[in-house]
Formats: sequence, structure tokens, C-alpha cells
Amino acid sequence: MGTLLELRAVSKSYGAGPSAVQALVDVDLVVEAGSLVAVMGRSGSGKSTLLTIAGSLEEPTSGDVMIAGQWLSQLSRNEKARLRRRSIGYVFQDFNLLPGLTALENVALPLELDGRSAKRAQSVAMAALEGLGLADRARHYPDQLSGGERQRVAIARAVVGERRLLLADEPSGALDSANGKAVMEMIVAACRRGVGAVVVTHDAALASWADRVVVLADGRIVEETNPPRGAEETVIGHHDQP
Amino acid sequence: MTTTVDRPVAELLPDDGGSPARRAVIRWAWRLLVREWRQQLLILALVVVAVGATIVASAVAANSPAPSHFGFGTAQDLAIFQGASPQEAKEITSLNAHDGPIQVVENETVRIPGSVNTFQLRAQDPHGRFTAPMLSLVSGRYPANPDEVAMTKTVAAELHLSLGDVWDHEGTTRRLAGIVENPQSLLDEFALVVPGQVTAPDVVTVFFDAHSPRPLPANVQTAAAASKSSAFNAETISLAGLTMGMILIALVAVGGFTVLAQRRLRSLGMLASLGATDENVSLVVRANGAFVGVVGAVLGAVLGIGLWLAYRPRLEQSSHHLIAPFALSWPVVAAAMVLAIAATYLAARRPARAITRVPVMDALSGRPPTPGGVHRSAIPGIICLGLAFVILGYSGAAGGNGSGGGEGLVAGLILLVAGLILVSPFFLAVMARLAGRVPIAARLALRDLSRYRARSGAALAAISLGILIAMIVSLVAAARYADVLDYAGPNLMSNQLVIYTPNGSAGTIGPGIALPTTPSAAQLHKMATAADTIGGDIGAHHVIELLSTSATLLHAASGQNFSGPVYVATPQILSAFGIDPSHLQPDADILTMRPGLSTLTKMQIVYGNYPLYGPHPRASANFVCPTHDCLANPVIEEVSGLPSGTSAPNTVITEHAVHQLGLRTVVAGWLIQTNKTITAAQISAAQVTAASADMSIETKNSQPTSAQIIDYGTIFGTLLALAILAMSVGLIRSEAASDLRVLTASGASSTTRRTLTATTTGVLAFVGAILGTGTAYLALIGYLRANTLNGGLAALGSVPVWNLVGVLVIMPLAAALGGWVLGGRQPAVISRQPIE
Repeated sequence: MGTLLELRAVSKSYGAGPSAVQALVDVDLVVEAGSLVAVMGRSGSGKSTLLTIAGSLEEPTSGDVMIAGQWLSQLSRNEKARLRRRSIGYVFQDFNLLPGLTALENVALPLELDGRSAKRAQSVAMAALEGLGLADRARHYPDQLSGGERQRVAIARAVVGERRLLLADEPSGALDSANGKAVMEMIVAACRRGVGAVVVTHDAALASWADRVVVLADGRIVEETNPPRGAEETVIGHHDQP
Repeated sequence: MTTTVDRPVAELLPDDGGSPARRAVIRWAWRLLVREWRQQLLILALVVVAVGATIVASAVAANSPAPSHFGFGTAQDLAIFQGASPQEAKEITSLNAHDGPIQVVENETVRIPGSVNTFQLRAQDPHGRFTAPMLSLVSGRYPANPDEVAMTKTVAAELHLSLGDVWDHEGTTRRLAGIVENPQSLLDEFALVVPGQVTAPDVVTVFFDAHSPRPLPANVQTAAAASKSSAFNAETISLAGLTMGMILIALVAVGGFTVLAQRRLRSLGMLASLGATDENVSLVVRANGAFVGVVGAVLGAVLGIGLWLAYRPRLEQSSHHLIAPFALSWPVVAAAMVLAIAATYLAARRPARAITRVPVMDALSGRPPTPGGVHRSAIPGIICLGLAFVILGYSGAAGGNGSGGGEGLVAGLILLVAGLILVSPFFLAVMARLAGRVPIAARLALRDLSRYRARSGAALAAISLGILIAMIVSLVAAARYADVLDYAGPNLMSNQLVIYTPNGSAGTIGPGIALPTTPSAAQLHKMATAADTIGGDIGAHHVIELLSTSATLLHAASGQNFSGPVYVATPQILSAFGIDPSHLQPDADILTMRPGLSTLTKMQIVYGNYPLYGPHPRASANFVCPTHDCLANPVIEEVSGLPSGTSAPNTVITEHAVHQLGLRTVVAGWLIQTNKTITAAQISAAQVTAASADMSIETKNSQPTSAQIIDYGTIFGTLLALAILAMSVGLIRSEAASDLRVLTASGASSTTRRTLTATTTGVLAFVGAILGTGTAYLALIGYLRANTLNGGLAALGSVPVWNLVGVLVIMPLAAALGGWVLGGRQPAVISRQPIE
């Protein structure tokens, strides 16, 4: 298992002068392949900023980020876009499926954006949806799916192809407890197959599924813990994926 | 669960996703258009109407005149001989020898028994080498031997003949074998017989293609010379109008696509977060623009062609020639469609580029981009407007002396539009500076207009352009109709009818033209009786005799002739229009209802043999008549009681002047007035009665009044501006939506929101009206300042005051009121909205 994600002395501030806000201060974080890291903290602690910088959606003010062996500071905008297509999957609290595309097309989109033919991309996407029990909903548009189904489609889109890093921002925040638990089970199952995941959550119970919990306060990592592994075992017992 | 793809395949994939990525985003753009087409309805409707109107207008303009090669068939040359003679036969033989093969068509004029109408007995080979486009079979068949004939439908009806009937003409009997027509002229009434059957032709026409360049006889015409056209033909004018319209649409569309891109901001952010390149994100918006253009172009073409097919039969009737169903101006159709797509695509490029500059996280959060800096300087715009003024001046001077100036006019108008677009944002900045002392909501609205003037500037330019077009139409119409020398407008009132004696219509009388022979007493009695009969049939309360002389008016300063008839102010005319002769100046030479004519200096009455239509002698410096048959500085008195129609006696010469100048008078016709509108049936009956006395009639035509044209122009411009406003305000307020949410969350009442929207709409409308009107005046002053032919700057003396009030005051107030009524709604979502 190699290092998938490394944040080295990452700081991020918004604004300038007296009104500047330090969102992150000298954060160091390493995520190995196959591991699940939960990030916790109060509102405004910098959790989401950490995730967006880790995913190349924002530039750090200082420090650098390495994803799948590539330092972001050395990449152009298009190279970062390619990295996102091929290596990073996002799951957002409010799903963010694209309207106008079916569930299948939403999942296939990153592959098509990467240059794969629509036919081949949809074949791969269908396999991903089947793995999540959504084959019969593949031709439905997002507004025809339930909240739980949408989030499962979003997870399928995040892990489809050969992406190895999964970044999830409150993935169960908009779901009830049963659906929230199911989502976490899927993320853990993905980690079991070598995907590295970072999950931002407020929920300590969900965080307990992680291999490691990082607690942020005022932009700094103030605590790192390793929760008991009982929850994960349960997940693996529920999901008998190939 | 994770599905893997072979690494080697991924490494071979293009860095930017290549065509599969482009196809994916284009597919998504299409789906979004289908889902959200209502949001783009205004742009779509504008494109559809512009393309459809262009197709119909160009087709009508191209097909209204007689076809090219009219009268020539497929021949390049034709020789016309008046009657048959040995000399004619010799020349035809010579033509055949030099330029053969030739085709000879002989015509003899035949009078329909009991009617003044005539037709041509025509000997022509139905399958002749050159005349196929001039002959078509409606029913039956062409005559095949000397005892057969084919006729036009009208001739057959006039002769009361049906297919198979026998027609006896001067002792020769022929069986009617078919009904025919001349597709190039439906007014061409003839009876067709086989060649050699016209024994005494009036006109012999020889069709041929001249083989070698050589001096041709004077009676030979060539098709190339006959169809020589101006560079400013129907297609050019249609395309120029279309280009102008598409610039306007593109300006509106920039705003529309910006709104759309912002509505899709989060989706586009999501696309970027999935790894789409900037090019792909931009392609979504650009593809949307292209799709709108394609859909609009196709729908517009379908609409235009449908309207054309529906209108074509009426055009055939009015233009008197057959028009093929798809005789469209296809280059214009193609250009209209391409321009529509280009306009919407180019309009989408700017918002597409702007959207890629939004940071991904801002896009995902639905935060609109920070307003971009706009080039604040008005100098480029002012330079363009200045150049437009100068070039239009040169164009006007060239147009005034008859040496063209069309290219300068086009260049000047292009610069004018460019200047208007460039100068618009500056005025929004000016408005923002003036905002300091107004209440908070209005201040915020004015400052938003300035902050977001990348969008509001385009909207203001579009509004100004709409007003500019409307005001140019209105001001030109006002100037044109205010030309007292070349008076325009309806010819008669709907309760008036003029009966002309043979050669008695106004256009055939004047200096240098011999007055028609005074009819004999018997002829005059017959015509007067016919006029009285017509008057009696339609219940006239006045049958006024119209007397003409050879006199007319000339403006010596400009050399411009007076248009329209100058009848004699007989006591009957004065009495009919309630004018008391004792109230007139005793020395008045001319009475007129044309406002301003009496104040024109350097006028002359010219008559007799004065060379009015040739290169007439220039007046001397003190404008004394240089030749005989001329009276300088006549006394002209304005009399409002005279009728206003251009064919009515709106300007008359007094009997005093007639006697003083020794003018001979002849009866030109009769003006008949009733209390009610004359019906079509009465007109039809009057035509028959007039024809029986060899006379013709004139009734009210469809020429609109100046007020109608100006009103139409004003209404068009106002509605266009309001439509653009409706869209622009949505755009600008949506950009400031976050401010509105903050205001609402802070407890701002609906009054605040209403004030914001009303100020935005009102100010945009007002500034647009000022700019559009000002630019229209700038253009017209530039054009007319050296154009004496069109009256110079004096032509702008007629100001359409109420129309200006409508545009400058009522339209902005209506816009503000609309904004007030519709602007009170609370934002649907105070916080950000999820995508799905």
C-alpha cells in the first residue's frame, strides 16, 4: 500500500490584511491506499477547505499536495483536471448529480471526459451501478431518484474507472441514518479494495468506521486517533462484494 | 465495487479527453436546452422572427419586380419592328444570316367587341427556341394548325368562349384548343395562333443571340443591359437588414446566455470538479449558443418558407407574373441561417469564457463571478461616432448630388452602431456617480448597473440600438413627409375618387409637355355625363371639374421640382372645400394646404416651354427667372381648407395667375366626393363606366400617412426596448441576487425590492432612449447637413414631438412601472440551492 495523498505544510488563508481568515495552518496529512481517514471538527475549523485543497479544487496559500505521486504545484490547470478525472472521486453532501443526464450517464461522464467512447464508458458505468444495486435505476434522471439512490449514484461516479482517492464531504449529511450507514458501508468497501478515502463528517458514530480520525480546530490538526475496528468488520460482513 | 480500466488504455487517452469528452458535454448541453428551453424563449423567438422575416422579405423583394430577362425569354437579344414591311423582312433575313437561329413572334392588336379593352393576336411557335419561359399551357393544348387557337383565360371569358368553341375573327374561324398564359406577365392578354397566321402585325419581335460583337441597330435590345442592377439590390438590402438585426439579437443574447451560465454555475462547477477541462466547460455554454442558433435558424426557415408559400399567390396577383413556389432568395436563406447560428454562438462565447474563470469552489457554491472590469473609456466609442458623422456627411453630400454614396452610408451606419455599443457602459458609470444623493434602494440599483456593466452595458447598447432604429425610421419619415415640394402620403381620402380624361392624369401635364388636345364638345359632354353617372351611382355630393394648365412650381434654390398636380382654383373647387374667395389675398398666385410651402423663398411658377425635365437653366443669383415661361417669387397662400391627398387639388393655381400668365386650361378630370367610404363594388362599377368613355379612375391607395409610419416606428422601437429590458433586468438582478438575499434576510420590505427593480428598468430605459435618440439625430444631422436634395438640415425641422415624448418619457416610466409591479417577489431561496 503506497501513499495516495500527502499534504505537506499546507496553509490556506482567505482575504488579505486585517480581514484575512486562516482556514488551514501548516497541515500535514498522509493517506495510504486502502485506508479511510475521517476528518472531524467544528464548523469553520477548516475541514471542507482541507478536502478541496486535497482534491485540487483550490490552491493552498503555502505548502504542497501530492496525489498519486504527483505534486500539484507542478501541474497546469489541464493536468490537474486530468488528475481529477483519473485519480480523484468526490462525493458531496448534496449529491451534485448533473441534471439532464441519467444515472448511468452521470456515472459514465468522468470516463467520457477522459476520452473513452460513450459505449465503453457506459459499459463500465453500468458495472459500477450494478455493484451498488442500482442497475434498474440506471436510466432514471436524478430528479427521479430518492436521496439515498442519488448518493449511491454519486459514490458510483466517484469510484468508477481506476480512481484511487475518494474524497467525501459530509456524504451522509442529507440522508437518514439508514441511508447514511449504507453510504459509509460502501466507502469502507471501496477502501477494502485499495481505494484511499478521506471523509469529512460531524458524526462521531460514522467517524468510528475510519482507520484514523483527524480532528481539526482553527485550521490546525489538534488530534489524531485510531478508533476500534468493530464497525468495519460489520461492514465487510454486510457487503460481500467481489 | 470499483471497476478498473486497463492502465495502458488510459495512458493512450488524450489529455483533454478529445472528441469523446466534447461529445459528452455537447450531449449534456443539448439535454439542458431541451429541459430549459423556456429560459431561452426570448432569444429563440428573436432568432426565429429575424430569420423568418428575412426570408419572406427577401423573397418578396426579389420576386416583386418583373423577372430578369423579362420579355426576352431565353434570348440574349431581341429586335422590335413596328409593323410588317419589306425593309423589316430584309432586316430579319439579315439577322438570321448573322445571328441565326432566330425566332419571330408577330402581334396584332385586336379590340374586344363592345369594349375598350384589347388583346394581342399572337403568332408564335409554342415550342420555339427562345420563348418557352413566356408561354405556358393552363388547360387543353397548344394550337397545332391554322384553324386552332389558344387564349388567355381573360380573353376567352371576354369573348365568351370555352374549350372546343369556335372563334370567328374577321372571317377566319378557329377552334379554341387551349387556355394559355404568359408566366412572366399575367397582364399579357393574347390569343395564340401558329406562326404565319397574323397577316397584319403591329409589332414583330425577333428573338436571337448576337454571335459577334458589332454595332446593333437601334431597335435591338440586349438582356444584359435591360437587367443591369444596382449593387443595392433586394438581396443586399435584406442581408444588410439581417446583419443589423443579428447584431441586436447578439447583444440581447449575450445577456441571456450570461444569465443561463450563472443559473448553471453549480452544474458547471461540478463538471469541472469531475475533471472537465476549461475548454470542455466553456463548450457547454458555446454549444448551447450554437444549438439555440441552429434551432432558431431551422424554425425561422420553416416559418419563413411557410409564410412565403402562403403569401406567394397574393404576390403573383399584385406583381402580375407567376412565381415558382420555391423561387426564394436561397443565398439569403443560407446567409440568414448561418448568421443566426454565428450570432448566437458568438454571443455565447463571452459568458462561456467568463464561466471558466470562476474558481471551481465558487462555482460549486453558486457564487457568481466577481464583476469583471470594463473598459471605462468612452473615447473609442466617441471616435467611432465622430467618424460615422463625418462619413455619413460625405455620403449625404454624394447622395445629394446624385453620385451615389451608398457605400459611405453603410460604413457610416456600421461605425454608428459600433460607437453606440462602445459608448454605452460609460453612461452607466456616469449614472452611478450621480447616485450619491438618492435613496438607498435606488442608489444600490444604480451602483449595480455600474458594477455589472459588462452585462448591463450590453443590455443598454441593445436597448439603445432598438430605439436608434425606431427613431431613424420616425425621423426620416417625418422629414420625408415634411418635404413640401415632394409631398408624400395617401393619394386620396376613402370617400374621394378622381376620374381622369384620356392623358389627363397629373403626371403627363407640365412645362415642356404639350397640353392634350382640347376634346370636342361632344367628347367632353360624353365624359362629363360619365362622371355625373359615376357621381350619381355612388351618391356624391360633389362632382368637381378639375382643370389643368402647363404650370407647376420649381424651387430655384435647390432645383427641386414640385411633385403632384397643380389644378386651377376654380370657384367650384373653392366652394366645394368651403373656401370663401373674399378671404383670400387678391394677388395670390398659388393656394396650398402644404404647410411650409408659402414660407419657401426662391420659388418660381414655370410653364409653357420651360425645360423642367431637362438640364434646366440655373437661376441667377437673385433668383430672377432666367428664361421666358417663368414667374419668380409668386404669391403663395396657405389655405387649410384644401384637401390633403397627393392626387387631390392640395395646391392650386388661382384664376388670377392663369389670366396673368395667359395659361390655357384643359379639363383633366373630375373629383368626386361622397359622405361615405366608396365601396369596392362602387369602384368596380365606376371603372366600367369610366372605361366606356375612355377614361380611368383613381381611388385611395394603401400608402400610410406620415403619422402612421412614425407611430409604427415608435411602437416597434418601444416594444423592442421593453422586451430587451425584460430580459436584461432579469440578468442584472440575478447577478445581484446575493445582495437581494442579504437585503431580504435583513428585513428589506417588498418596497425596497420594487424600488431596486424599478430603478434598474427605468434608468436603463431612459438612458437607452436618450442614447438611441441622440445617436439617431447625430446620424441624420451628419447625413443631411450637406444633402440639399433632401432638404438639408431643414428636413429635421419637423419634430415628431409626441413620439419623442413617448420614447423619452412614457417608455422609461412604463419600464419603471413594470419593474415596480413585478419586482416585489421575495427570492425563492435565501440560501444557496442544490443542483439536484
